[in-house]
Amino acid sequence: MNISIDPDNASIGVAAQITAHITAACHRIAPTWPLDQFIAVNPYWGWRDSSASSAAAMLGALAGTALTMPRSWFRSEWAAGRLTKEHLHAAASAVGDLELAAMAEEVLRQPFDQPQPGIPRMALATDVRDLGSGPRSGQTWTDLVTHQISQHCAAHFDRWQGSWHPDQDVDLFTGWRAQLLAPSGIAWRHSRSWARTQLASLPAEPDAAIAMMLGALMIPEEGREAYLTALLLSVNGWSAWCAYLRWQARLLGDNDHEIVGLLAIRLAWEWLLRTDAHGLSEAEPWDAWADSWASTDAMASVVADEQRIDWLLQTAVERTYQATLISALMNADTAPTQVPAAQAVFCIDVRSEVFRRALESVTPHIHTSGFAGFFGLPISYTPAGSALSRPQLPGLLSPALNVTETASNSTEPGALINERSATLNNRQRWSRFRSSPSSVFTFVESMGLLYGPKLVKDSLPHVHAPTKWENDGLGSASLIGLRPRLAMVDDDPAAAATIAYKVLRGMSLTTGFAPLTLLCGHGSQSANNPHAAGLDCGACGGQTGEVNARALADLLNSVQVRAHLTILGISVPSSTWFVPGLHNTTTDEVQLFDTELVPENKRHEVDQLQRWLSAAGDRARAERAAGLGLQGLIHEPEQLKQAVCERANDWSQVRPEWGLAGNAAFVVAPRRRTRHMDLGGRSFLHDYDWTLDTGLSVLTLIMTAPMVVTNWINLQYYASTVDNRRYGCGNKVLHNVVGANIGVFEGNGGDLRIGLAMQSLHDGHTLRHPPLRLSVFIEAPRDAIDSIISEHTVVHDLVSNGWIHLLRIDPSTGAVERWTPSAWVES
Amino acid sequence: MRLVPALKDFPLPLVTSIGLPVWQNVLVLTPAVAALAAVPLAAQTSSVAGAWRWARMASVVMLLAAAAGAIVRGVTEDRAGLVVRADVVGMAVLTLVSFVGWVVIRYSETYLSGDPYERRYIGRLLATIAAVAVVVVTNHLLVLMLAWTATSLAMHGLLTFFGDRPAAVAAAHKKFILARCADLAMLGAVVAFSTTFDTLRIDQIAMNTAAVTTVPTGARIAIALIALAALLKCAQLPFHGWLIQVMEAPTPVSALLHAGVVNLGGFVLLRFAPVVDRAIETRVLLVVVGTTTAVIAALVMTTRISVKVSLAWSTCAQMGFMLMQCGLGIWEMALLHLLAHSLYKAHAFLSAGGVVRQTQRRQLVPRVVAPTATAMVIATGAALAGTFAAGWVWGLLPFAEPVSTTIWVMGAIVAVALVPLVPLVAASPTRIGATLAIPFAYFGLHELFGHLVPHGSSAPTALLVFVAVSFALLFGMQMLGIVSPRGALRRRLYPWIYGGLFLDEAFTRVAFAMWAPPPTRPRAATLPQLTAVPMFAPTSLPMEPSYEHQH
Repeated sequence: MNISIDPDNASIGVAAQITAHITAACHRIAPTWPLDQFIAVNPYWGWRDSSASSAAAMLGALAGTALTMPRSWFRSEWAAGRLTKEHLHAAASAVGDLELAAMAEEVLRQPFDQPQPGIPRMALATDVRDLGSGPRSGQTWTDLVTHQISQHCAAHFDRWQGSWHPDQDVDLFTGWRAQLLAPSGIAWRHSRSWARTQLASLPAEPDAAIAMMLGALMIPEEGREAYLTALLLSVNGWSAWCAYLRWQARLLGDNDHEIVGLLAIRLAWEWLLRTDAHGLSEAEPWDAWADSWASTDAMASVVADEQRIDWLLQTAVERTYQATLISALMNADTAPTQVPAAQAVFCIDVRSEVFRRALESVTPHIHTSGFAGFFGLPISYTPAGSALSRPQLPGLLSPALNVTETASNSTEPGALINERSATLNNRQRWSRFRSSPSSVFTFVESMGLLYGPKLVKDSLPHVHAPTKWENDGLGSASLIGLRPRLAMVDDDPAAAATIAYKVLRGMSLTTGFAPLTLLCGHGSQSANNPHAAGLDCGACGGQTGEVNARALADLLNSVQVRAHLTILGISVPSSTWFVPGLHNTTTDEVQLFDTELVPENKRHEVDQLQRWLSAAGDRARAERAAGLGLQGLIHEPEQLKQAVCERANDWSQVRPEWGLAGNAAFVVAPRRRTRHMDLGGRSFLHDYDWTLDTGLSVLTLIMTAPMVVTNWINLQYYASTVDNRRYGCGNKVLHNVVGANIGVFEGNGGDLRIGLAMQSLHDGHTLRHPPLRLSVFIEAPRDAIDSIISEHTVVHDLVSNGWIHLLRIDPSTGAVERWTPSAWVES
Repeated sequence: MRLVPALKDFPLPLVTSIGLPVWQNVLVLTPAVAALAAVPLAAQTSSVAGAWRWARMASVVMLLAAAAGAIVRGVTEDRAGLVVRADVVGMAVLTLVSFVGWVVIRYSETYLSGDPYERRYIGRLLATIAAVAVVVVTNHLLVLMLAWTATSLAMHGLLTFFGDRPAAVAAAHKKFILARCADLAMLGAVVAFSTTFDTLRIDQIAMNTAAVTTVPTGARIAIALIALAALLKCAQLPFHGWLIQVMEAPTPVSALLHAGVVNLGGFVLLRFAPVVDRAIETRVLLVVVGTTTAVIAALVMTTRISVKVSLAWSTCAQMGFMLMQCGLGIWEMALLHLLAHSLYKAHAFLSAGGVVRQTQRRQLVPRVVAPTATAMVIATGAALAGTFAAGWVWGLLPFAEPVSTTIWVMGAIVAVALVPLVPLVAASPTRIGATLAIPFAYFGLHELFGHLVPHGSSAPTALLVFVAVSFALLFGMQMLGIVSPRGALRRRLYPWIYGGLFLDEAFTRVAFAMWAPPPTRPRAATLPQLTAVPMFAPTSLPMEPSYEHQH
C-alpha cells in the first residue's frame, strides 16, 4: 500500500468538501479564555445544535468522554432522597418510555460501587501504534504526541513567560515543522532523515496538508469530519485556546486560522506514525482502522443506547431539584410593595443570592434586585497612564466604549502617565535583573537572603486586603479622587442617556426610585491563585465589577444625563442618588466607592446603608461558614470575619471560596416571587417585570444574553465535574501556569488544561457541585417566551436540545409549567 | 602494600578537634529526632487534623532547636564528635532546612487539604526533613552516606505521591537510578577514605588531608567520587532531566526539593573543602561541569514556557554555579549561594500561582523601545565601574589576597549581571544608588561569609579563564537577544536550546532501556475518572486500553 503523498496533487486547491469538514470540526471546539480573564465557558457550545444525549454519544465515541456522572453517584442521590421514584417515572413518561424507568430503578438498586463498563471510543492511529511498543519504556505514543504538540503550542503562543521564543511570525503549522526537524530524539522506526523528507513533502498550507494526509491515510469520506473532530478533541486544551483566538478575531470582524494549523499538526502526527509503522507486524489492522471511521455514527448509536438510562437518571435528579423550587414559587406573596428607603442592585451571580437574602433579613427597608454584573455597559477599561486595556463585559460581546480614570482634582493626565511609566519601568529593570540569564546568579547572591523574611511574612496569617494591582505605580497622592468614568457623560450626555435608558429598562427600574440606590458589583479575593479571575465577575470579563458600578453610578448621577433621560421617558427624581459598591464574595464585605461625592443630605442614609451591609455580611458569612470548615465560628462574627479574611490572603489556600459551585437554577422574575425563599446560593436571580416590557426587548435581551451566560457557567461547572480530565483542570496542587497567563498544565506537561480544578468542585469528602443542568424559570406569558425561542436559533438550540430546562411561572397563579418542543406541559 | 600512609603513621594527636558535650549532641540532633518521632505519632493519630498537629509541633521544635544550635555555635566554637558535628556550615544549613521545613509543613496542611492520602504525605515529608537534618549535622561519613540515601528514598515517596501519573513515576524513576549511582559513588568514597585515613570522621579526613604534603591517591579518588555524587544529586548536565520533570509532585514538595535537598551536594563538598582544594582533577570536574551547566541551563530557562519548569532550569543553573564556586575554592560564596538560593527558590515555588497576577501588573507597563547596542556598551561600562567601586570600598578589589584573580572573575560576573539594572533613562540618584546597592551587598556578603568559612586555595588560571569565557558567552547571547532577537544565530540555536540540547532524551533512552520504570499505581479519585476504551468499530474486538485507568 502506498501511503506517501503524491506531489502532483499538492498544487490542487483544497476541495470544498474538505474545507467543510475542517470548518465543521473546528466549530465543535469551544474557546477558553486566558487566566487573567478566566470567564466560564460551556465546553459543549459547539454541540448545541445537537441534543445533549446525542452530543454525549458522539463525544463518547470520538473522545471517550461522558456527559453524565457514574451510576454510583445516582445511587447515592437516590439514597439521599435527591432522586425520587416519582420524578424518575415522570421523566420516563415525558420521553414516553416507562420501561426505561424500571430499568433505571434496577440500576439504582445495584450495589453502590458496581463496576461500570467503559466508554468505547474510536481509535486514532496513535492508539493503534500504542498496541505495539511505545517510543520508550513507560511512555505511550499518545503521551509523546500530546506532549510534543503542547510544548510547541506553548512556545508559539507564549508572550510573557519565556524571553527567547521560536519565530512567532510564522503560523503554528510552519513553526511546528521547523521544530520537529530538530533532532528531538523521537524513536522513528525509519530514520530521522526519513521523517524530514516526509515533512518536507507536505504542502505548506494547513488545509492543503490536511486534504493530502486524509487521502494518504485513506479515511473514507463519510468518516472524515468525525475523524478530524476526534483529532481536535485529543488536544482539546490547545484546540480551545486556538478557538479563543478565532473567537476574539471574529468579535473584531476578523478571523484566525491557527486552529486549522493545530488540526494539521495533529493529523501530521497520525500520518507520520501510520507511515512509520509501514512494515510493522501484519497484526496491526490498518485497513480495518481506516475503514472503521465510516461507522462512527454506528458507534455513537451504541453509546447512545448504553446511555439512555443515564440520561433518564440525570433528568430525574434535575426534576427532583426543580420540584422543591416549584412548590415554593407558588407560595410567593406577590402584593406590590412600597417604595423602600434604599434599593440595591446586585449581579445575578448565585453568590449574590446569599448576600441579598441576608441584607433583606437585616432590614425590611431595603429592596434588592438582580441584574447582569456589568450593568449593561459595553465597556473596556484602561487604568490611567497604563498600557493595559481590558474588556469589562461578557465574552459574547465586544466593547464599544472605553472607561478610563479621571482625577476630580486638577492633576494633569499627562503627569499621571509620567509618574506611572517612571515607576513601572523602574520595576521592569528589577524584574529583568531577576530573570536575565547572566544576572540570576548575582541576583540570588545579593538579594536571595531577603526571601527569608518574605517567607515568614507570607506564612503568617494576615487580614489586610492587598492594594489594587491596577493602581501599581501611582502614589497615594495621585490616587485621591481618581475614579473610572465614561468620557461621554460630559461630552455627549444625550448618548449617555440612551445607555442609561437601556440599562434602567433592563433592570425593570423605571419608576419608584428609592432615595438611595446601591449598584453593587462583585469580585473575589484570593492569593497565589492562578484561577483567581474565575472567581471574579464573569459578566465583567473575569474582572471585578467595580469599574462598571462606578461608571454607571457616575452616569446616572449626572444632572445632564438625567435631563436627557426625562425626555426618553424615565424621570429619576433629583432626590435619588446612586452609590457604587463592590461585594467581596470571599469575605462578604461590601465596599462603597465615591462616597465623597454623596450630597450632604444623603450622608446619613449612606451611613445607614453601611451598617446594614455590615450586618448582612455577618449573616452571609455565618451561612457560608460551614462550607468553609469554619462552623465552629458561626456564633463569633468577629472571629469568623477574621478567619475568612485570613483565608482570602492565605497563599496556600486552594479553596478560598466556593465560587458558583452548586449553581442549578436561574429565576427571571420580580424579587417578590422569590423573596420568601432560601435558594441556598444555588440560583441566579434576574429581576424582570413583564408588565413593563413593551415590545419584549428586555426579555429578548435576558434570554439571549444573561441566560446564555448562565448556561456557560452552569455547563462549565457541570463538565468539569462529570469529566474533569477533559473539561476540568485537575488538581490544583500540581498546577503549572503556562505562558504566564494562557492556562495551566497539570504537572510537568501534557495538554493545556481548561475548566475548573478538582478543589473548586469537591472538598475532599463531598462533591460541592452536584452536576445539574440549569433550570431557568421565567415569569412571563407563554406567547412572549415562545416568540423569542422561535426567533433566536441559539435560544431554541439550548432549550430544545436539553442543554437547559426552561420553565415558566404563570404571573397570576404562580403555577409552573415546563416548555417542551411541542407544547407547554404542567410540571 | 599500602599506597597511602595510615593514620597511625602521623604524629599524634594530629586531630585536635574538641568533642561535643552531651547536651550539645542532644541539641544538634533534636531537629532530626523531632521530625522522625513525629512520623509514627502522626500515623497513629485518629484524625488527619491531629496528624498535622504533630507535624506542626515537630516543625516548631526543629526550628527552635536549630536556632538554639546556631546560637550556641555562635558563642562557642566548631566542635565535632564521632557522629555529630556542630560547626558554622552545619548549623547554618540545619537552620535553613528547619526553617524551610516549618514553612513547607504550614503550607502543605492547607494546600493538601482533602487529599485522600494526606497521612502518607505527612509521613514522607517528615521523614525527608529528618533525613536531611541528619546529613547536615553528622560528622561520620558512613552516617552521612546513609542519611543522604534515606533523604533520597523518602523524597522518592513524595515525588511519587501521585503514583497514578505515568510522568510522575517516570521522572521519579529517573531520579532513583541516578541517586543509586550517586550512592555507589559515595560507597566508593567511604571505602577509599577509610582505607586511606583509617577514619570516617569527616573533620579528621579534612584535617589529615590538609596536613599531608602530598594528598594520597586514595583520598583523591574518594573526593572525586564524592564530587561525582554531588554532580548527580545536584542535577547537573546531562543528568538534569529528573529535576525538570518532577513538577508532577505537589508544589511544596518542589519547594522542599529545591531548597533543602538538591543542594546537599554542595553542602557535602563544603564539608570536604580542604580535600577538594588539594585535588586538582576534582576541581576541574566541578568547574567544568558546573560552569557548563550554569551557562546552558540559564539559557534554556529563558526558553521555558511554564513557570515551574522555568524555575527548575533556574535551579539547575544555580546548582551549577554553586558547584563551580566549590571547584574555584570560594567556599564562602558557595555557602552563601546555597543559603540564599534556597530561600529564594522556596519562595518562588510556593508563590508560583501568583504569576498570573504578575503578568497583569506587567501588562500595565508601557512598552519601551529596546535599547541600542551603544546603550548596552554604555551600560556595561557603567556596571563595570560601579562593581569595581564597590569591590574597592570593601577592600576586595583590586588586590585582595589570597584569591585575587578569582575575585576579578567573580566581580566581572557581578558587573554583567548589573547591566539590565543600569538606569539608562530617567537616572535619578535613588535609582543609581539602588543599582549600586547590589555590588555593595554582594561584596559585603562576601566579606561576611569570608569570616564564617575559610577561603580555599586559588584555582588554576586556566579554570578561571574557562569560567570567564563561559560567562562572557552567556552575556553575549543575552545581549544578542536584546539587540537582535531574531538574528540568524539565535534562530538556529533555538531548537537546540529549547530542547535542552536533547541531552535528557538521550540519557532517558539509555537509562530506561537498561532499567524500565515501574508501572503506575491506582489512586483513589475524588471526581469521576472515566474509562475510555479505544475501538475500531462497534463490531470489532475491543482493543486494550492504551494506559492505566481507574474508576
